[in-house]
Amino acid sequence: MAPLGDADHCRDKARRDLLALLEGTRGKKNLVISQELAGPVGLFVKFSVLQDYGVDRVFLLENANIDSSQRNVVFLIRGEKAQHVRIVAEQIKRLQNNGNVEHEFSIFFAPRRTLVSNAVLEEAGIIGDVTIAEFLLHFLPLEQDVLSLELDDAFGDLFLHKDPGSIFHSAKALMGIQQRHGYFPRIVGKGDNARRLAELLLRMRKELDAEESSGLADPSARGLLPSANTESLIIIDRDVDFGTPLLTQLTYEGLIDEYVGIKNNQADVDTSIVGQGPAPQAQESSKSPQQPKQGLKRKIQLDASDQLFNQLRDANFAIVGDILNKVARRLETEYETRHSAKTTNELREFVSKLPSYQLEHQSLRVHTNLAEEIMRLTRSETFRKILDVQQNNAAGSDPVSQHETIEELIARDAPLKHVLRLMCLESCMAGGIRPKDLENFKRQVVQAYGHQHMLTFWALEKMELLQPRSSATAMLLPATGAQPGTKTNYGYLRKNLRLVIEEVSEKEPNDISYVYSGFAPLSVRLVQCVLQKPYILSLIKGGSPAAMINTASAASPGWLGFEDVVKSARGPTFSIVQKGDDKAVRARQTLSGNNTTKTVYVFFLGGITFTEIAALRFIAAQEAPRRKIIICTTGIISGDRMMDAAIEKQSFAKVE
Amino acid sequence: MAPSNPLANWEKLGDSFYRKIPVYDAIFEDDVELENYIVAGAPYGGAIALYRDESKPIRLRDTQGSRSSVDVYSCSGKLINRINWEQATIRGIGWSDKEELLLVAEDGTVRRYFGLDGDFTSFSLGSGAEEYGVRACQFWASGLVALLSNNQLIAVSKYDEPRPRLLAPCPEGEVSSWALIPPAHTLSRSVEVLLAVDRTVYLVDSTEAEDKILQDGPFKHVSVSPTGRFVALFTSDGKLWVVSNDFQNKLSEYDSKSRVPPSTVSWCGDDAVILAWEDEIHLIGPSGAASKYYYDGRVHVISEFDGVRLLTNDTCEFLHKVHDVTEEIFRLGSSSPASVLLDSVDQLEKKSPKADENIQRIRPSLPAAVDSCIKAAGHEFDAYWQKRLLKAASFGKSALELYNSDEFVEMTEKLRVLTALRDYQVGLPLSYDQYLRLSPEGLIERLISRHEYLLAIRVSDYLQIPADRIYVHWASQKVRISTVDDEAVCKLIVQRLEGKPGISFEVIAQAAYDEGRSHLATQLLNHEPRAGKQVPLLLNMEEDELALDKAIESGDDDLVNFVLLHLKSKIPLASFFRMINTRPMASALVETAARDEDTELLKDLYYQDDRPIDGSNALLSEALRETDPQRTAEKLVLATRLLSDSKDPTVILQQKMITEASQLLKVQESLDKDLADRSEFLGLSLNETIYRLVRAGYGKRAQKLQAEFKMSEKTYWWLRLRALVAKRDWGELEEIGRNKKSPIGWEPFYNEILGAGNTKLASVFIPKCTTSNVSERVEMWVKCGMIVKAGEEAQKAKDINTLEILRTKASGPAIAEIERMINQLRPRK
Repeated sequence: MAPLGDADHCRDKARRDLLALLEGTRGKKNLVISQELAGPVGLFVKFSVLQDYGVDRVFLLENANIDSSQRNVVFLIRGEKAQHVRIVAEQIKRLQNNGNVEHEFSIFFAPRRTLVSNAVLEEAGIIGDVTIAEFLLHFLPLEQDVLSLELDDAFGDLFLHKDPGSIFHSAKALMGIQQRHGYFPRIVGKGDNARRLAELLLRMRKELDAEESSGLADPSARGLLPSANTESLIIIDRDVDFGTPLLTQLTYEGLIDEYVGIKNNQADVDTSIVGQGPAPQAQESSKSPQQPKQGLKRKIQLDASDQLFNQLRDANFAIVGDILNKVARRLETEYETRHSAKTTNELREFVSKLPSYQLEHQSLRVHTNLAEEIMRLTRSETFRKILDVQQNNAAGSDPVSQHETIEELIARDAPLKHVLRLMCLESCMAGGIRPKDLENFKRQVVQAYGHQHMLTFWALEKMELLQPRSSATAMLLPATGAQPGTKTNYGYLRKNLRLVIEEVSEKEPNDISYVYSGFAPLSVRLVQCVLQKPYILSLIKGGSPAAMINTASAASPGWLGFEDVVKSARGPTFSIVQKGDDKAVRARQTLSGNNTTKTVYVFFLGGITFTEIAALRFIAAQEAPRRKIIICTTGIISGDRMMDAAIEKQSFAKVE
Repeated sequence: MAPSNPLANWEKLGDSFYRKIPVYDAIFEDDVELENYIVAGAPYGGAIALYRDESKPIRLRDTQGSRSSVDVYSCSGKLINRINWEQATIRGIGWSDKEELLLVAEDGTVRRYFGLDGDFTSFSLGSGAEEYGVRACQFWASGLVALLSNNQLIAVSKYDEPRPRLLAPCPEGEVSSWALIPPAHTLSRSVEVLLAVDRTVYLVDSTEAEDKILQDGPFKHVSVSPTGRFVALFTSDGKLWVVSNDFQNKLSEYDSKSRVPPSTVSWCGDDAVILAWEDEIHLIGPSGAASKYYYDGRVHVISEFDGVRLLTNDTCEFLHKVHDVTEEIFRLGSSSPASVLLDSVDQLEKKSPKADENIQRIRPSLPAAVDSCIKAAGHEFDAYWQKRLLKAASFGKSALELYNSDEFVEMTEKLRVLTALRDYQVGLPLSYDQYLRLSPEGLIERLISRHEYLLAIRVSDYLQIPADRIYVHWASQKVRISTVDDEAVCKLIVQRLEGKPGISFEVIAQAAYDEGRSHLATQLLNHEPRAGKQVPLLLNMEEDELALDKAIESGDDDLVNFVLLHLKSKIPLASFFRMINTRPMASALVETAARDEDTELLKDLYYQDDRPIDGSNALLSEALRETDPQRTAEKLVLATRLLSDSKDPTVILQQKMITEASQLLKVQESLDKDLADRSEFLGLSLNETIYRLVRAGYGKRAQKLQAEFKMSEKTYWWLRLRALVAKRDWGELEEIGRNKKSPIGWEPFYNEILGAGNTKLASVFIPKCTTSNVSERVEMWVKCGMIVKAGEEAQKAKDINTLEILRTKASGPAIAEIERMINQLRPRK
């Protein structure tokens, strides 16, 4: 049997671990789960399976409505969140006090039990009354090629609170991959946090080596070697390229995320758009019993199991209509074959295909409606204005000329997130906003959206998303890049990595820039600098992007050849070789043969957008079959989610 | 030495054989009177604990009798340790799988001694136990169940984190005997207890007590077989029953003909039951067949999963069922291939050709015969027969063309290890099966706890398993007992352990610290490669700053948080701030945590750090959280106060905006008072306030606000436009349209009004849109449905093509109009 892919492995392991834990609690039980884990758990186990393992009802921790209907109560929360642990402690105490039922409590901490949570439970005086277990939940497979930690707060934690928890978490998760496949022979990366992550990986390897032999540790983990079928790990720190996610994503999946929001592969779409779902939704709804009341929402599963969506997701939205039409026509002709069916055999064949037609038909209907809704939005005046500002900023034209549009958007009460995204975009791409203009913006935003947003600005500045332009970093820095490493110099990189490609075809893309209709995500360009050197070189020289893609050689590893260029992006650049015992490495190479597909792991620390995923898939398709790219990340991010991390949620208005 | 007869100790019991192997002799000194002791032995040939039975009379001259202690011996009678006991009476004495001695006192205190050195942890079984007192205890591999004097049962299922749990309450009555079924063998996967009460037996688990409805009690003994499949019951009339674990089938019955119930009823493997009286042992097989052994003195039974150890003053014996392979080879008259193969070795030594004949005769089954010989060698305790059997295997192997010798090689290795362990100096009489279950790692643990370091290292080298724990234990021991100065000890240890993988210096350092040698501990800690591991010890040692640094170094946020939590409660706030000040990660974590839990700390921090903007923001967030407007205002004032007297432009802006915020709140309050009865404006943004004012028709007030807050004309116009459109106040809009100029141009007016559906009014603004080009304006007219006007626009620009298009859109009289315009423009021919 071929070994499972990473995605399947993660899914299986998570499912097995969770069910084993549930089995450990005897009899029926109520499961209380924190909101942020409810979605991820749905990725690897169905509610019906949980029921088979004795789960009677599921409650959300945040709702605090757990009752005494079962003797056993199981909590599933993240151990890193002291706040959640405190809530759990409160709820346990409440149940202990008022119930006449004597409860058995268990707490499962994902991914680990922390010292702080111990302290909290101890303080609450209940540590002796609960059974505590760890649920090792690291990477969750979103797709075969996408592994995510699904940490909703990773972006805010990393860049606003400067809390490195998610780096540690990432390192643990990557160690898991290393323990499965052997060490990454090379770790390449860009950015401060990326550097820290790489250092943690090295440290953990050293510690593992130290721990390895200690007694009863898993013997399979011993004597790890550099992997023979992994090529490298590429870590990209999100703050190297804040600009890209601030742009509106223009792929189909990207746009759905922008306008509807995709969470754990699911989107809550208004039923007025996609219609009522088929019957078996009942299960889903019992899983999160308190559906939002305003407007009926229907959960749409968005993953590769939907073939049509798989076809659409990474395409530029401009051609989604075409694809839908084509599919509709094909379906219709296929459906029409029923009339031409003459023999019973033909009829039987048709009938046997019927269910798959119906499925496809359903999905077609959903996506046509969804696409139409998005189309409606993209036609609106504000959308066009916003896109215009973005494109101008991306192309590097004078940002000041855009200010009027932004001010108009403010006056017209456009969504705050959109307005802030535009400001941040300008600040990122042009190295800050003129202090006077920034002050103006601030005043207008504060007046338009409320004075609580002083805190929002403060957060944005702390994240270095929005900054006054100091005189030292004058606009459009000289080509050499004045102070390498403190700020990403888009002006320089735009030219030297050809970020803007105007003649890109959306229909038959020949460059990753199709995902933003002419702007290539810097983050992914950096990945290309490692993986597709000849292509980038030819791009810079001005050859047509179609020229020579596959002459790439692995001869120049790491950043070789681009050291100077990438210096203009923020943060340190590094390339580390993890060596092992030479003899053993060679032996393993001979054993595994040399011509196998090598896997490259690309880790986006701080989140990745769907457009970047699309761009990386585009590269992966070019590199197949020599390379396989597995995308890892702390979570899916979008410009809106970045803003969410900063936006102050409270206001002076009192809700009565 | 003459070879012993392999059949010497065999005893036939029904269809199978049992054998009793003397392992050691001359075990205890004569003055240890075993009959006065309670004896408990650790599984897998482990240590034996002796505790003086308090129900037995104490001879006065016996000096030891006055002081209570638990003595730990090895199986060969070597005193390993003597544990003084000054607590309440011991009610339970038992061992865990890891050879941890457990002592349960009457008041429910449980002490767990690990490592045989007398180090222990203790926990309590809870107040129930204290109140009623523990009557008895039973143990399994990783837990225990205590029976209280009120028939209540308390289970503890793991010792690392003991959580005493009450089992279901069981009925009143006299408990005559009881036994537990370990979790591994129950359906519920947690421990269950068989309780013989009055005439019947109850099965008690965590939720209920199930009556098995038996009539023939009271049962003097209940015992569960090692696999949990059978239960042995000893009735008061001297009969032994073996029943299936569901109590549905009685499998066999044996009449002991004894009025006195035996002191022990124990299983010997899964097929036979041992009844032990003072100096008499009955072994009862499946069909009720029995064999009896007699001793000179008191005999104690220690059960293993594959047999029993019998302990007297003179001997330690192992009684177990003879393995099938062994039986097949050695049974009298056996002609199995393996037995023939063994015989060939004899022939070979005599240089007799029969050796070859033998081989030829069994050739078809030779591989199986070789396998049998190898296995049988494993089960043999006597080196002579081990060698003999291996020789036979080797001989048979050489006659085979293809044979995988791995098993043979492994067996020789295992036998060497087993032989070394069985030596009386070490005293670990493991059977082959026990060794497999204990695992080499477990074995090393046992050697370590007996301080047999050299042997442990040799064994681990031999079996290629990691030796780091041995070194660490050795070093810790060294630290404890050595008297030379710290530098020398440290040097010695580091030198000795250099280059050994996986050494945990943290453990050694902990030992040093516990011993009171903190300087040595610090020195040793420096050699620990895992930063995270050092932290807890450093905290204990009050090396706070170092602990914090190491935690940060490890990158583990939890560890850092933990250290911070610890420090915050321990040291004065000022020095706490000073400590985190230079460590960005620490201060970031403190800030994050404080934001949720402790804003006062946050404010102090900002004050101390001189970060006025952050400080004012903290107050601002507090202001937002307030529900009382009065208090909100107060907080805002405090916030501005923090910012006064600064020249920094950002600070000035911040102050301005906060002032503006409180000013706005004040205005809104008065608006609420004047215009609405309830809170309608309070807390809205300025734009929203103006918008609502205009929509509600209070244009004047809106304008006043605009001036007061210096709102730009553009913004104001936009707000007014949107509000008026929303109000459908067409008159007012038309009025505005009379103005010459609009700061936002007139297109927005056209667009918004058109969006609201008033095409007529919208069209009014088209001529004013001077910045739009012709085609745009044509489009605008068309949208209002005024084709003729659009035509005029096109005509002015002399654009025939557009006119042509317009003609197709026109209807009624408009067609003619457009035609006319086209004709006018057509160049006359």
